[in-house]
Parts: sequence; C-alpha cells; structure tokens
Amino acid sequence: PPRLLNTLDASEMLESLLALGGLVLLRDSVEWEGRGLLKALIKKSALCGEQVHVLGCEVSEEEFREGFGADVNNRLVYHDIFRDPLNWSKTGKAFPGGPLGILRAMCRRTGPGPVTVALDSLSWLLLRLPCITLCQTLHALSQPNIYPGDNSQVEQVRVLGLLHEELHGPGPMGALRSLAHTEVTLSGKMGQASASILYRRPQQHATLQTWWFSILPDFSLDLHKESPLQSQPHLDPQTTQVDPTAHLTFNLHLSKKEREARDSLTLPFQFSSEKQQALLYPVPGQKSHIFYEPDAYDVDQEDPDDDLDI
Amino acid sequence: MAAAATCGTGFGSSGSVAAVAGRSGITSFQRRGKAGGTDGGPRLLSIAGTRPSLRNGQLLVSTGLPALDQLLGGGLAVGTVLLIEEDKFNIYSPLLFKYFLAEGVVNGHTLLIASAKENPANILQELPAPLLDYNCKKELGEDVHNPRTPESDDNMKIAWRYQLLPKMEQVGPVSSSRFGHYYDTSKKIPQKLLDISKCHEFFLPEKVSSTLAVESCPLSHGYTKLLQFVQNIIYTEGFDGSNPQKKQKNILRIGIQNLGSPLWGDDICCTEDCDSSHRLTRFLYILRGLLRTSLSACIITMPTHLIQNKAITTRVRNLSDIVVGLESFIGSERETNPLFKDFHGLIHIRQIPRLNNLTCDESDVKDLAFKLKRKLFTIERLHLPPDLSDTVSRSSKQDLAESAKLLGPGCGMMAGGEKHLDF
Repeated sequence: PPRLLNTLDASEMLESLLALGGLVLLRDSVEWEGRGLLKALIKKSALCGEQVHVLGCEVSEEEFREGFGADVNNRLVYHDIFRDPLNWSKTGKAFPGGPLGILRAMCRRTGPGPVTVALDSLSWLLLRLPCITLCQTLHALSQPNIYPGDNSQVEQVRVLGLLHEELHGPGPMGALRSLAHTEVTLSGKMGQASASILYRRPQQHATLQTWWFSILPDFSLDLHKESPLQSQPHLDPQTTQVDPTAHLTFNLHLSKKEREARDSLTLPFQFSSEKQQALLYPVPGQKSHIFYEPDAYDVDQEDPDDDLDI
Repeated sequence: MAAAATCGTGFGSSGSVAAVAGRSGITSFQRRGKAGGTDGGPRLLSIAGTRPSLRNGQLLVSTGLPALDQLLGGGLAVGTVLLIEEDKFNIYSPLLFKYFLAEGVVNGHTLLIASAKENPANILQELPAPLLDYNCKKELGEDVHNPRTPESDDNMKIAWRYQLLPKMEQVGPVSSSRFGHYYDTSKKIPQKLLDISKCHEFFLPEKVSSTLAVESCPLSHGYTKLLQFVQNIIYTEGFDGSNPQKKQKNILRIGIQNLGSPLWGDDICCTEDCDSSHRLTRFLYILRGLLRTSLSACIITMPTHLIQNKAITTRVRNLSDIVVGLESFIGSERETNPLFKDFHGLIHIRQIPRLNNLTCDESDVKDLAFKLKRKLFTIERLHLPPDLSDTVSRSSKQDLAESAKLLGPGCGMMAGGEKHLDF
C-alpha cells in the first residue's frame, strides 16, 4: 500500500532508496548535480554501521571526504582512481587491472553484513570500459552472495552509481536502466531540486514517486512538501457523469419486502442441488443420464392412444 | 430411398458406436475410445500435454495461458519459437515466461532454463502454483466480482447452467478439452511437483569464465555455449529420435530469458551500429533448426525496446515463429488516461506462423489488452468505457477520438476519424 507522504520524512526516503538493494542509479545533469545526494546516501549507510566502499574517479579524495564527519570518514573504504587513473606513477599503491579489477575484487567479499558500494562516477567508467563488460560486472557486483552459515543469511548489497545523463546515448542508458532496481532522476524547478524515484521491485509493480528536497551542508536531507504536480488523475471538469438509472419508465429499485417476496418464489426449473452439480460437473466416463421428475398433477388415467383409429 | 442410402452410410461410419450399444444392451451414447491403430491411418503421437491442432493436425503444446493459446490458434506448435518482446520495465514478460515453464512442470515435460541475469534454480522456485481442481473457475470468478457486487456469493438461481462459463468475453475459439491450466500467481509451485520434474539449467556467469583483459572485445561465447548445451541435451535425451530405446516420448521446453541484453555479451542494446549484430540472428537461425528437428518448443524473452537498430529487430522477428509484444502503461501518459483504467497494458500479436499451411489462424481481434489481477493474468479485448457524459454531442467526441486514434477498427464506434458521420 502506498505510504502517506505526510508521515514520510527524509531519513525514510533515503532508507527506501537503500532498502531495495541492487543497483541504484542516480541520473543527474549539469544543472542538477547528484553528488550531494550520493554523499547523503553514503552518510546514511555509514551511520547505520555498514561497510561503504567508494570508487572515486572524478574528484579527489580530499574533496570527496569534505563535509563528512569523522565517524563517516572512518567507515569509508576509499579506492582512489582520480589521482593516477592510468597508473603512470608505478608506485605500490596502484591497483592491478585498473578500475575493472577493483570492481571485480569488490565482488569477492569476505563476510556477511550489508555492503554499500558507491561509484563516483558510473559515467567515467562507462566512457572507458566497454558497456557489456561494465554491465556484466555491475550485475555480478549487485548480486547478493549467500553465505552457507548457520542461518544462511543473504547479504544486503547495494551499488550506488552516479550517471551523468547528458554524456551518454540512449543505448548505454537503456542498458544500465534495465539493470537498475531503483532509478533516481534529478531535476528541478526554480532553484528547487526534485528527485523522481522509480522503484522496480522484481516480480512486482513499478512505482514512481517524486520528492522535492535540498541537501544541507552536512549532507543530510531536507524534504519539502510534495509537489502538487505528482500523479493526480486528470479530471475533466466539463463532463459530468449522467446517472443512467434515473428517469426510467420502469422500476429498477426494489424495496426490502419486494426483494424478500422475489427470493421466496419457487422457480419452474429449479432442480435439486445434486442434480445441478451432476449436470454442471459431469464425471468423465459416466453414461449420460436422463432426469425425469414427474409433475404432481401429471398422473393421467386415460390412455392417450385411445383416440387413435387403429 | 436416397434418405435410406445416406442413413446406411451414416451407420457404417459410426459402426463402432452401434456395436458397443448392441453389446451392452442399454442404449447410451458413448464417446468412441481411442482405438488407435485398429481403424488404420497414421497414429498421432500421444504425449502428455499435447494435442493436435484443429486446423492442420500440427502437434501443439500449451503456453501456460489459455487465453494466449486461443489467440495463437490453439497453442504453440512443437518445434517453433515463441518470442516475447519485453515490456519497458520487465514486469509482465517474466510472468509469461514462468507460465510456460510451469505448464511444462505440470505436464511432466523436461525443462531447459537459460538465463544470464537470474539463477535458473531461483526461477524454478518461483513458478506459480497450478489451480488443478474444478473449483478453479469459481476462485477465478471471485476475483472479478469481489468488491463490487454483494450478491455474487450465491450461485445464479435461474441461469445456473451458465455458471461455469467464463465471465469475460472469450476471444477466439473455445477449447473444450483441459489443455491448458490456470495458475495462481500469488502462490509458489509446490515442491513435490518440482522434485519429480526434470530441469536443465544454463546460467551464463557460471558457464563463461570472465577474463580480466579489458581491451579485447568480449566474444559472445554465451550464444555458442548455449547452442552447444541445447544440442547436447536434445541429443543425449533423445528428443530428436536419436535414442530409439526410449519408449516414452516427451517434449523439451526451452526457456531463454533476456536474450540480447548486455548480460549475454551482446551489444545490440548498447550501440546502434554494432559490428557483431549477426551473432544474435545466427543464434536464432541455428536454434530454430535444432527445434524443427526435435520434439521441443522454445520461449524467448527479449528486450526489443532497447535494441538501437530497428533492422535487427525486424530480422529477429522474421527469425522467430510467433512474436508477442507487451506494452505496459506504467510510466507513460496512458496510465492516467481514463480510457485505459481497466487494464495494465496492451498486448500485440505481431506475427503468427504459417506451418504446413497457406493460411494462418489469425484472430479478428487486433486490439487486445492485458490485466494482472491478484491471482491471474487475463487478456481481453480492448473496449472503451461507455460515454456517459452529459453532452453526448459530436463535438465532444473529438477528444476521445484523438486519444483513441491508435485503436483498430474492431474497437467499436467511438474510435474513428476526426469527422463523425451523422446517422
């Protein structure tokens, strides 16, 4: 059942984004930047005690960590690609296999427990890696592993990917959108940012919700009231529904006594319920029966053949 | 005398009926049993869950959805491919996929499930439960009536003979035998049915080990491996008649999910001018060859809305036998359109094959819509709601006509051109 928007507050909105698991796509554009929302989600996961891996490609680590408190910063496992993307410095800190190797390493996780992986940004990866490889790796990354422990817990994995819409054509966008379980499109009006969230729970209906929000400097979320433009059924004020049961020449409504009288009528072809069941659900293989119930008055003493002139 | 002659021939052909009647002494009309080879002629294969087509004797299997069976002319012919074009958010096409597989489990057919996204073992666990007893129609009827009419609890008093007829309008010829089954999507298939069924699984991430080399373009081993897997199963289990020791013939139901998506290693969804577009078409061609020479039927779901090059979509459709497209209303402006409020989406039968035949079994209803109720997936003729507005004048119909432009001529008098003829 849809939740009432009045009772929903900011933390619940963030939780709803994280709860579904799988790939969460944050589609932003030049005007409406998505990194703030990404950091708000990271902060929320970190404060819940989860492990957060960050793949930083577009901004430096200092800039990314800016604004986070020490409690959040301690929980972040930061993989820095920005400093040396092509591994030119050949120091020990370089990662074998590049960004793809890092993603694949993240697939092999050590223990159960919810994991959040934040990709800043997915666009950077999409421009440098083949789309197919990236899709396959993302899919493998967002699949929850089942650990054969005592209660075989299924871990909660979510992959937050920041995607800059304007950089990609419809092909890669469509491919990534088909993989995502949750899709957030950032837009806005008159300085106010909004997020349209599409929840695609597998096997269930897709639901679309829109929120107007703003990100505070400490990366917590402030929700404004929902925009009145959100899915209201389009009512045409001109057409008024006419009641077809009014102004009739016959009576369509029965009073209670009339209804009772009607119900107590015996109908001419009313059969017993056994006979009805036998006729409705014929047992296969049974020979056809002929049901004859003679009427009460149908006892005729006369022989009808009497008047035949034989 | 002519009448006597025709009577004579009539008795001759139904001689077995008369003979039976004479033997038992009671005049009762009994259906002639399947005597098999005694009356000569070719004996049709009698495999569980199949039946010959009413038109040309082609062996048919059910798709798991009796409504869809009627639209396809009785069912899916053995040896053909059913292509389902997925809806935009892939909500309804997995349902059709699961119905097909569940029908196989219920009939005892062998299954082969191939997927790159979901583990086939999970797909198997999530198949819907069949409604097997005679009360299924009553349960289904409850869905329709439930909130609205309070007197639907008692059966009909006067017209009780019509209780069992379906509440919604039948589209297509009514099938009399229990060929297809109804499924309850809110319940999972019972485990004991799964235990006795046989299923072969192909999960692409397990079969293809990913290489770390990024620069090399990923070859679509996926398709080749799948073809080899299918061919192997057909050969070893004798679906193509290569194992004559097997007494009991059975049908192989193949289900391939999300074919053509990037997870299969194919980039037709990513770029418009991909140089490897022939991989998918070659796969379909070879697959159809394998199917034609074996007792199998295949369902494929494909996200054709993501394919960037329309030529590939056309080629894929030509290479499949039956093509059914699903179009859901979610996210589009039709979701709030009052014309479509009773339905969840449209279903388009894009192609029906002509197998051993000059004509195909096209239904005359082209505008079909589907609705996923709590338990059941129904396909109905798309009909417009009655126009109960106050001003039922010609000018106000223009708005409806504009939005109903896409509907075919079978949809009633409302849709039409911009000018309405005044009768």
